[in-house]
Order: sequence, then structure tokens, then C-alpha cells
Amino acid sequence: MLSHLLKLMWNKRRANVLIFVEILLAFVVLFGVYTFTIYNYDRYRSPLGFSYEHSLGVRVDLDDQLDSAAVVEAHRRIRTELLELPDVAAVTWIGPVNPFGGGTWRTSNDEYGFLITTLMMFADEHFAETAELDFREGGWYTEADQHAKYPPIVVNGAFKDEYFPQAETLVDTLLPINGLHRVVGVVDAFKYQSNFAENQPLTFFSHADQDRGGEPFEMLIVRTHPGRTAAVQEPLYRRLVDLTKNTDVVIWSMAEDRIKANRPVVIPLIIMLVISGFLLINIALGLFGVLFTQISHRRAEIGLRKALGATPGEVTAQFVGEVLVVTAAGLLLGTFFAVQLPLLELLPIPAKYFYLGIMASVLTILLIVTACAFLPSRQAAGLHPAHVLHEE
Amino acid sequence: MIQLSNISKSYRTDTIETLALQHLNLTVPAGEFLSIMGPSGCGKSTLLNIMGLIDEPSEGQVVLAGQEVTHYNGRRMARFRNEQLGFIFQSFHLINDLSVVDNVELPLLYRKVGSKERKRRSLDALEHVGLSNRAYHFPNQLSGGQKQRVAIARAIVGRPNILLADEPTGNLDSHMGDEIMQILLRLNQDLGTTIVMVTHDERMARKTHRLVRLSDGERVS
Repeated sequence: MLSHLLKLMWNKRRANVLIFVEILLAFVVLFGVYTFTIYNYDRYRSPLGFSYEHSLGVRVDLDDQLDSAAVVEAHRRIRTELLELPDVAAVTWIGPVNPFGGGTWRTSNDEYGFLITTLMMFADEHFAETAELDFREGGWYTEADQHAKYPPIVVNGAFKDEYFPQAETLVDTLLPINGLHRVVGVVDAFKYQSNFAENQPLTFFSHADQDRGGEPFEMLIVRTHPGRTAAVQEPLYRRLVDLTKNTDVVIWSMAEDRIKANRPVVIPLIIMLVISGFLLINIALGLFGVLFTQISHRRAEIGLRKALGATPGEVTAQFVGEVLVVTAAGLLLGTFFAVQLPLLELLPIPAKYFYLGIMASVLTILLIVTACAFLPSRQAAGLHPAHVLHEE
Repeated sequence: MIQLSNISKSYRTDTIETLALQHLNLTVPAGEFLSIMGPSGCGKSTLLNIMGLIDEPSEGQVVLAGQEVTHYNGRRMARFRNEQLGFIFQSFHLINDLSVVDNVELPLLYRKVGSKERKRRSLDALEHVGLSNRAYHFPNQLSGGQKQRVAIARAIVGRPNILLADEPTGNLDSHMGDEIMQILLRLNQDLGTTIVMVTHDERMARKTHRLVRLSDGERVS
């Protein structure tokens, strides 16, 4: 039966060229949308590695005239005072890069024969407790670590997996990143740009690093008790204005910042999915129309096939099969073009996402085509041979 | 081979009931070449369709090749048609998108015969009707007579016991009609195939073993 179908559809190729092109174009669009969606979904599923749900970001403006000792003292005093607020659970000072803020710092070093490129974040010794980090090994740096011979750093799991996959532990390893630093801990996961960000190698530098020639920390993360994030904002603002003698205090919700940070991916994704949905509806309606027309033109053939011994099931299978043959041809050509992307490494997306995109597109199109072909084919199977043969 | 007992067929619409066949009895022994004649609308094609199991009688009993087939379900009737019956139509009913040999092998396709065997038997059938040199042509490249010979090859490729021909020469000139008639006569004589032919052509009917005449759905001779 398959060879018969292939022969028949080859002989009818001119009549089916539009369906073929429609399937091919649908595949190309779906392949793009699915690959983009699966790739981003996978990123979304990978954990951020820190808590943000009950946290506020705070920016203050410290007096420019303070020396480094005065800054340390101001940091200590402000943090202590904020912790006295009833709804505040934890407070940490961070450098100029804040989670979901949109900024990135990066540094590279090839001093020891291989290139290390890492994102950078700066935070004080209370960051792990405030952001509720999970550690793969070691822990967060302490006040004492900051006065040791080599300044402490903490790296994320992606850093270790990328550059030291064979190492049993990185703790106490000296790494040449902006000078020699001692690794004190490896956090399980940490990506701060958005849920859709790539989990890239990242290094946390302590207060001491930032103080060396950099600006003092002027951002805080304040973790509140669950459900108190909104209530704490006003007392927090008043306390900070009192402490800094400056009304230039900005407070924002990290949960809302996360949503904003995700938008550059979410909005195009929704637009693409809606367009694909319309495209699929269009294909379905087009196929319905084409098949109903084909069947009305082939009533005598259907009658003949039934007279020659085709059962209703075989007539249904014949018409569904014909559409599937054209569909398979379109999908094969589409797949041929699609696999060039991972094979030639034309885009910086891992190959598995392209293959998943191909599979999902093929399955979706086959499912829709089969469903759309089934109803007209069943109708064809129900034709009465005596009537349709007589019509000729 | 064919036994029709008390066959009636009526078509109903909301307001009218048309009687196509009325209490018709007919027996066709194995190996007979029977022709059926009658004016248009007398029920000839309806009778042939009932014999061919592509239409059902409103009343009566159909026995074909010793089997009472009147109450067969659709699937069983399809199988019976495929194995026991061959059809030849006035308007050939060839599929234009298939080559001659592919048209001929259609009945074997529904019998699940392998592709090599299908092709071999189809070429044999075409040889039998003198058209093996046109096996890979398409129907629109053939004359009317050649098309009907392809249809005959298709009808006999499954070696059916009964051949039902509905005005097989109706669309052909007399010369081609004679050729087709010769092929049918040869099939009947050489293979012993039982043939029932509906025709308007008295000259063709006289070449068959027996002639049955219908009028207004009733047998008149």
C-alpha cells in the first residue's frame, strides 16, 4: 500500500505542490519557535540560586567625603539599624551589579596558560545569608577572610564546571582573577540577570576588593519576613533618610524587577507562540478545504476503489496516507535544512535544542495533519459506490 | 453461480417512492454469458449493482458463488467483491494519475498481494487483453477502446468467478465495441468466467448465451 501511495502522490506532485510548500514553511516557522521556546524554557527551569521573593533592592547615596574606614563604619551602622526594623530578616551590602538590574561586569585572565572569563559580583560577608544561597562546597567569606593574605572569592557551579570539571574541590585553590584570590566556597547555582539568562561562570568578590580603588557599596538587599515586603518599605525609607541624612533613597521590589528582567524574552516568546498558533489554525483550515475539494473531485475514484474491494477503513487510510506522504516530504526537506544549524554551528545554541525543536515541529505537524485529514477521509469512506459511480 | 430471489429495490424521498426493481428472480449458472437489456431507467444497472454487492436490495435474497451474501456487513462484502467479482463500467473509471499497470493492479492491492506479484499478474492481464505494450502509459494517452481493455484487465487480474459489465461498449464505436466483445467472449470461453452484461446494443446481446429483458423494474423475458 505504501508503494502505491508513494507512486500515486509522485504522479500527483504538481497538484500537491502547494500543500508541500505550506507544510515546509509551517515546519520552518515552528522549528524556529520551538527551538527558541525549548531553549528558553530550559534556561527558565535552571535555578536562579538565590531568594528574591521577599527581598527589596535599596540604593542610598553615601557622603562622598567619607574615607574607607568611615564607609565601613557607615555600612555597619546602617545594617545594624535596619535589622532592628521588625519586618526585616536580613541585610547585605552589594556592589554596583545587582540582581535583575541589567548590568554585568566581566573579567578575563589567561595569566596561567588558560583563559578564565567570569562575570563579577561584589557583596559583603552577609550576602549568602540574605540571598539564602546553597553551597556545593565550602562557604561564604567571613570578615576574617578579608584580612587574609589572599582576598577571598566565591565562585558558582558553572565556573567550576566550565574551568575545573575534574577538580575534586576548589576550596583553598588560588586563582589568578584580577590578582591572586583564594576560593572559599562554590555556590550551587547563581545567575542574576533573569530567569532566561545563561548560567555563566561567576565570581563573587568581597568588600575588600571593591574598596581597593572602587566606589563604596551603595546598594543593599533587604530580605523581609514573608508577606511584609510592601509594609516595610515606608519605615525602611524613613530610617535610611535619617541615617544617611539624604532623601536620595530608592527602594524597589526584587520580585517585580525579576518580571521586568524576563520581559525581553517573554514578550517575543508570546508573540511568536500566538503567530504560530494562528499559522497552525490556518494550516488546519487550509488542509480541510483542500481535502474536501479533492474528495469532491474524486468521488468516482472512491466509488471505484470500494467496488474493487476497499473497505471503509482502507479508503480512510488511503486519504490520510496521501496527506501524510506529502507532509512527510515537506518535513524531510525542512529537517534537512534545519539540521544544518547544529551541524554547522551557525548559532550559539547547543545542538540538542535544535534536535528537540525538529522533533516537536514534526510531531505537531503530523498530529495536526492527521487530525485534519481524518474527518474528510472518513466522509470519503462513507460514500456509496453505486451512487458515486452512477454520477459519472 | 448467481441466484437472485424475489429482489425488489425502491428509492424513497420525502414524498415519492420509486420502484426500481419488483420481485425479480434470476439465476445465472456458472460459465454463462448473460446479457440484460431494457429501456433507460428500467433497473438494469440497479440489478447489476445488487449482483455486484455495491447496492443492497430492499427485499429479497442474493446468493453468489453458493454464499448467501444479502446480510454481509460492509467489510465482508468488500472482501467478497474483491475476491469473487470483477467490474467493467461504461465510462471505464480509470485513475488518471496512475499508469496502466498500476490501474490494473488495484484489486490485488486490497488483497494484500506483494508488489512484485501484483506487477507480474497485472502484466499477464494486460497481455491477455493485448495491451502489454501500453503498460506504462497513462489513461489520458489511450483511446477509448484501449481504456476499456485496461478496465477489463483490471476486472480479471484477481481471477474473479463473476464479471459484471455495465454497458462496456456504450462509449465506443462499433469497431472498438466488437473488439471488446471478442475479449469478453474469449474470457468466458477460455476461463469459464460467468459474465453478466448490461447493454443497449441488441447486436452485442445476441452474441451472449442468454438475454434477459427488463421493463419498469420487472423481468419481461
